[in-house]
Amino acid sequence: MTSDHLLILIPLAPLLAALAAFAVPRAARRIGLSASLIMVFLSLWLGLKISAHGPLVHTVGGWPAPLGIVLRADGLSALLLLAVSVVGAAISIYASAYFGAPAGTAASRQSRFFWPLWFFVLAALNAMFVSGDVFNLYVTLEIQGLAAVALVAMAGGSDAVHAALRYLFVSLTGSLFYLTGVAVLYGETGTLDLAMLGEVVTAGSPSIVALVLMTGGLMMKAALFPMHFWLPPAHSSAPAPVSAALSALVVKGGFYIVLRLWFGPFDDLVSTAAAQLIGVLGVAAIFWGSWQALRQSRLKLLIAYSTVAQIGYLFLVFPLARSADARSTVVAGGLVFLLSHAAAKASMFMAAGNVLRAVGNDRIESLAGMTRWMPISAFAVGLAGVSLVGLPPSAGFVGKWLLIVSALDQRQWWWVAAILVGSMLAAAYVFRLLAPAFVMTADDFRPQPVPRIMEWSAFALAALSVVLGLFAWLPAGLLGDALSRGTGP
Amino acid sequence: MTIVQLFDALLALLLLWLAWRAVTDAVLFRAVVSFVALGLVLALTWFRLQAPDLALAEAAVGSGLTGALMLAALRRRSDRSSPTPEGPVKGAALRQLPGWVLAFVIFGALSWAVLSLPIPAQGLTEEAHASLEKSGVTNPVTAVLLNYRSYDTLLEIGVLLLAVVAVWSLRVAPRLRPGSPSGPLLEGLLRFLIPLLIITGGYLLWIGAFAPGGAFQGGALLGGACVLVLLGGLTVGPMTGRIVLLRTGLWAGLAVFIAVGLGAMTSDRWFLEYPVERAKLLILLIETAALISIGLTLGCLFYGGRPESGSSDRSSP
Amino acid sequence: MNGAPLELFLLVGAALFACGAAGVFRDAEPLRRVIAVNIMGSGVFLLLVAIAARGGGDRPDPVPHAMVLTGIVVAVCATGVALVLADLSGGEEGDDDDGERS
Repeated sequence: MTSDHLLILIPLAPLLAALAAFAVPRAARRIGLSASLIMVFLSLWLGLKISAHGPLVHTVGGWPAPLGIVLRADGLSALLLLAVSVVGAAISIYASAYFGAPAGTAASRQSRFFWPLWFFVLAALNAMFVSGDVFNLYVTLEIQGLAAVALVAMAGGSDAVHAALRYLFVSLTGSLFYLTGVAVLYGETGTLDLAMLGEVVTAGSPSIVALVLMTGGLMMKAALFPMHFWLPPAHSSAPAPVSAALSALVVKGGFYIVLRLWFGPFDDLVSTAAAQLIGVLGVAAIFWGSWQALRQSRLKLLIAYSTVAQIGYLFLVFPLARSADARSTVVAGGLVFLLSHAAAKASMFMAAGNVLRAVGNDRIESLAGMTRWMPISAFAVGLAGVSLVGLPPSAGFVGKWLLIVSALDQRQWWWVAAILVGSMLAAAYVFRLLAPAFVMTADDFRPQPVPRIMEWSAFALAALSVVLGLFAWLPAGLLGDALSRGTGP
Repeated sequence: MTIVQLFDALLALLLLWLAWRAVTDAVLFRAVVSFVALGLVLALTWFRLQAPDLALAEAAVGSGLTGALMLAALRRRSDRSSPTPEGPVKGAALRQLPGWVLAFVIFGALSWAVLSLPIPAQGLTEEAHASLEKSGVTNPVTAVLLNYRSYDTLLEIGVLLLAVVAVWSLRVAPRLRPGSPSGPLLEGLLRFLIPLLIITGGYLLWIGAFAPGGAFQGGALLGGACVLVLLGGLTVGPMTGRIVLLRTGLWAGLAVFIAVGLGAMTSDRWFLEYPVERAKLLILLIETAALISIGLTLGCLFYGGRPESGSSDRSSP
Repeated sequence: MNGAPLELFLLVGAALFACGAAGVFRDAEPLRRVIAVNIMGSGVFLLLVAIAARGGGDRPDPVPHAMVLTGIVVAVCATGVALVLADLSGGEEGDDDDGERS
């Protein structure tokens, strides 16, 4: 572990941006765009440094664990930070055009408040990915939740407000379950530090209950079946850039913490049965989400249910990564899948936002002939769809492939079946989108103009999710042996 | 049974009974009142369990301010044109069953866990007290909050700012309906109370270094003063110029905290690593800015929306 | 003031948490849910303070105290936001808890 003084900039940069955007609302947009750029540089720098020196440590306040809070960044953190900053930057660019409106209108109010709230979300995610302290993680979860809820309600209207309220209560309940687990863990071990917990946690009733409580709470945050019910209304009634941010990035936070916990302090405690159980919930998410997606007539709801399904794939990592040899492959597969989904899903929501802007509604039949009147966005949807289904050479394919290979290796055939069926279902609901888009309209249809930048940012992300598959060895290499048995943060 | 044991049993029973009432009472107003009372009994419990800092915070924030927020919300709810009919959970009693089953399971599991906690108890008391001299304060809770685990507190001040941004983004503040006409009695009371609250808040901030107290408790009192100002209708005139001041006060706490933290890094130290001889001063600096931000934030949360400005959109928040 | 029956308070904390959880789960009215969530929080806080009182003989453990203080502040922030949303939603939360309407 190498000491690094600049690691603290990772959470501080977006936090300062949020503060500045609130302090000077007129410059909020400019602050946001600059900060997004800075975040990309910071995460690139971090990735390079970790490849060169290995995991980094920052002892905040000079107080080492267990008394103080220690920040730790390894390959996993670096990868996720890169994902957040790159996808986040695309979302920021998209949002700057989406909310661009003359002063005095309601949209400019939205713009003024979008930027501080958005950067609070980014600050929470950044802080989460470098935090080495379980209570600190609780605070980041709360920041993330509160900011996300406000962003959902931003569009106004009864649907959005109700969805936001429901999201808020689920989020708070989840955080409190998590906190209760933290309390029990502290009572048992006297430390809040992830690394120390890894050494001290023993199999006993407090640890088991803590594990269940924390995982349960995080499942609510990550919208894993059956705690997924809040997601579709929230993600579909939010403004497009917010939906993109929520589906692509925010829900992954909960998954990340489960990853750190299950492969960290609770590594020996988790039984095969528990791991299989969470995998089963993942499969349920895949099937239920995909089936519901097929039934939707509104574009944004379809995409939101797709998120429910895709989150299920992530949780297949747990039953598959039990053995030390399989772990790095499986985790790499899961992470590549996560990256691919982040880019593809954000792209889809952006494209949906473009459709809404162009047509005035987001009914799926309105997509008819989209390749003629909004080709860039149509191709974005197509490419994103390729990644979501998992066709080569997309990163979605690579992720699924790694999971399948590992499942076959370990003779856990049932996961293979689940992934394949899930992919077929994904193909079905993606086809529901693409079919009208590639069908010619009978008459000339003049859509409202959509700013070019909104279309191109959607396209760029979709292309990224496909092209990333060709370079999947890069993130896998960066991951290294993070989370391996016996080591870890 | 000794007196003390009797007292403890009474506390426990009160807590359980008030919580039960707060969750199940058919009349919402009574539920809210039970909830506020629960907060006060909780404050007593914190005293009993040797947590006076928490008792102060609970009474001011957990019970006082949260209660005020709830009562205001209740009032607005009953003012709405078509209030939903009062009553407990809709649907048959059978629908309530899963909730109680869940509660039972959770209680069982949690009890099993906490009763199996190891003896001797694990904790960080020794470490915390051992480093107290280097921390710049003698109140161990303040040391944890503003020194050992100051990063958490920094993020928490971020949460406060976030809450204001969230509330402001949602709506313009609703008009506070005047209660009974404010006469000389109310005014006189406010003239006395508001300065008292402000001074006591500052006092709590100061003594927090060596006795129970601190920025949060002081900030809560300041917040109470803000609430009284709002309730007494004492804001007069256009808010235009003042909004910038308000805004600055709101973000100042977080800004000062980050600035001190970054400043500490200049001489090859970690973020928020205070030089030992300056620790007390730096903590006081951070806490003072935090006090202002906390007080204003709590007042803004009570106000329930962004302040309306009379003039053009450019100066509105 | 010592010799507090900490097991008792640990159990009360667990009970409060469970009670609050039941309340969030079964109630639809946002104001009631706010109360329930706060009670859940109080339950956790009681657990933490009791754990703090366990760990240290004469002097309580200050770290859980700091955690509770942070928790109290976070709770009031969340409550503030929740109540504004509740106001805007006009009371009931709409169709209850299926969320699968398309």
